[in-house]
Amino acid sequence: MSEKHGDVTRRGFGKTLAAATAAVAPAATVASAQIASPGPGQFGPVVVGNYRPVDQIVMGGIGIRSRGMADLRMLLGDDRVKFVGIADVREDAREAVKSTVDGYYKNNDCKMYRDAAEILARPDIDALLIATSDRWHGLMAMWAAQSGKDMYIEKPGAMSINESYAMADNVNRYGIVYQSGAQRKNQYAFEFAVGLARSGKLGRLTAVHADTAIGLGTVDEGGHSWWPEEKPEPDPLVFDWDKWLGPCLWRPYNSNYKDRGRGQFWDFHAGLLEWASHTVAMAQWAADMEHTQPVEYIPEGPNFRGDGLIERYTIRCRYANGIQLILRNHSWRLLGSCSNLFEGTEGWVEVGDSGRIEVSDNLKSLVPKKTGRAYDPTAEHLREFVSCIRSRTPPRANAVATCNTHVASHAAWIAAQLNRRLEWDPEKRMFINDEEANRMRSRAYREPWRAEALATSM
Amino acid sequence: MAQQTTGTTQTSPQPAAPKPAPPKRIPLPTIPPELDALPIWTLGAPALVAMLKDPKSSLFQKAIACKKLSISGGKDAIPPMAALLSHPQLSCYARFGMEPNPDPSVDDAFRAALPKLSGKLQIGVINSIGVRRDAKAVGALAKLIDHSDTDIAQSAAASLGMIGGHEAARVLQAALGRTQAPVFPVAARAMLLCAEDVIVKDRAHGLALYRELSAETMPKPVRLAALRILNAAGPAPEYTNRWPAPTGEAAKQDKSGFLGR
Repeated sequence: MSEKHGDVTRRGFGKTLAAATAAVAPAATVASAQIASPGPGQFGPVVVGNYRPVDQIVMGGIGIRSRGMADLRMLLGDDRVKFVGIADVREDAREAVKSTVDGYYKNNDCKMYRDAAEILARPDIDALLIATSDRWHGLMAMWAAQSGKDMYIEKPGAMSINESYAMADNVNRYGIVYQSGAQRKNQYAFEFAVGLARSGKLGRLTAVHADTAIGLGTVDEGGHSWWPEEKPEPDPLVFDWDKWLGPCLWRPYNSNYKDRGRGQFWDFHAGLLEWASHTVAMAQWAADMEHTQPVEYIPEGPNFRGDGLIERYTIRCRYANGIQLILRNHSWRLLGSCSNLFEGTEGWVEVGDSGRIEVSDNLKSLVPKKTGRAYDPTAEHLREFVSCIRSRTPPRANAVATCNTHVASHAAWIAAQLNRRLEWDPEKRMFINDEEANRMRSRAYREPWRAEALATSM
Repeated sequence: MAQQTTGTTQTSPQPAAPKPAPPKRIPLPTIPPELDALPIWTLGAPALVAMLKDPKSSLFQKAIACKKLSISGGKDAIPPMAALLSHPQLSCYARFGMEPNPDPSVDDAFRAALPKLSGKLQIGVINSIGVRRDAKAVGALAKLIDHSDTDIAQSAAASLGMIGGHEAARVLQAALGRTQAPVFPVAARAMLLCAEDVIVKDRAHGLALYRELSAETMPKPVRLAALRILNAAGPAPEYTNRWPAPTGEAAKQDKSGFLGR
């Protein structure tokens, strides 16, 4: 409840509520404290969705292909959900989703749309599964919130610092339940490690480490940006290139984009957040720092070039309370992808996607014997989302936690790009005395797309 | 220090493995030199500005120059980028380069370009004006709310909301009284943004805006968002006789009269 917490809520919804409640305490103390307190938990008493408690939650999808299809199959298995429509710029993707959904329900009811605006306008849809490519996540989340629809949205959640804030501000403004696809928040090994850190069993926490192995490596392959040879644009009914490109800067069409995905192009890539969406989120959770971001970022690596070319790197960050957040792509214990290490004065724990849990000797007795199994926790993560739609409570990967994870990761990425130490003011949402870094907080949208958000300080 | 292996006894919290995890490699593409950003990316701002001014520069060179100038460009970079605001492909690059530049001449350039553009390119500039919260543009945007192209009208309303303040709120209040879908819901959302900005500086005015937005005629998400704020502020005026009003210090602080005291 600290006033010093300069989290997303302080500039957005929190400030608004603070202003609204300024003169009514103590009469409204309990209600306002519940709503206006920093961090997650700001969901008001108003039910935004259209569903009645005894009904199924009506869901639609936007941009569902490989990863999204895995999510969809798990959602279909939840009896509380009824899936009714898909919007996608790709004809083949629309038809694949319809085939899957209609096959499951044994009917022909799943509607297909080329334009996301059409599915957002459907008043009967309560919630959305959004699994577009990265460049669309922030904007889609804002649109969904403005349409009053809850959402499960794949990571990363935003392409820049300012988009991260805009996303979370819109979600808070409209009282929406938002769950990012950071499914490890519902995976046992990670939960156990976070539990050790948060319970004090590691002693005084000193550092939380996040494996950000990919991200920088993929972006550097093609340089900061280049344009493959221009090819004739396809029929927009089959593949709508303009909408696929979305808010990203214009570039000539080449089929490699749609066939090989976001690939190595900076315009389509959220930097460190390919993995940091998971691992920094876990680190912030472990450190009880989900409401804020580190205040200092120090890149360490021999190959920083300013255009993204980095191979082995460490970015050492520090929270205001002294705990370090360390982002690195090396020296892990090979416990699987997306590893985390949490260190305290009395012990440490490291986990990864293998499901194995490594701890310091003094903590071995706490580790359950039946561990070590890798499994996909996405179904559990989706179930939590659906439950939260009904309870109007924030899920683990809620918008505030996601925003602060993304701001921290983007800030670290900017420090690496500039190859210098940066200081960050979470309250002002600005780097301190570094104009170049501040300019890198945003990416202007291509016309006609817009964010509809209060800008952060210039 | 030795490479750690699974299941070994750990006494140090520091990972010992010197061997880095191999980064995921994508085969290097063959990049034509004329479409390689890296040589342009390494240039300083003066050379990039010269590249923008050079009529022989390619579309690609100008695009990447704008991207890099978004970080390093000074005041002298604004005119050559502003000259690209009417270019169908490069307008977005020009705005990308100009939007984060703190120099006030950026706002002048956007305002000057506004009446000279049409369609999507005009929308782009309207959006950039909103992002930069240029209060001097409120008058020009107010006129665009009634534009026959509803996409332009929506963008103008949205940018007014992003600019915020009393004047933008007044314009949006008037617009809500005369516009219809598809402009009306955007104007309502914009007013919500405005109210969020206004209430921090002027609680009474802010709450009045939220009360308007809580009307049943408003789009449902906007109405519910406004009600959440009003709920936090306390009971509606017509119910104040049924609830005890705040007393003591809280009552002294309430200058708005919102609670009907």
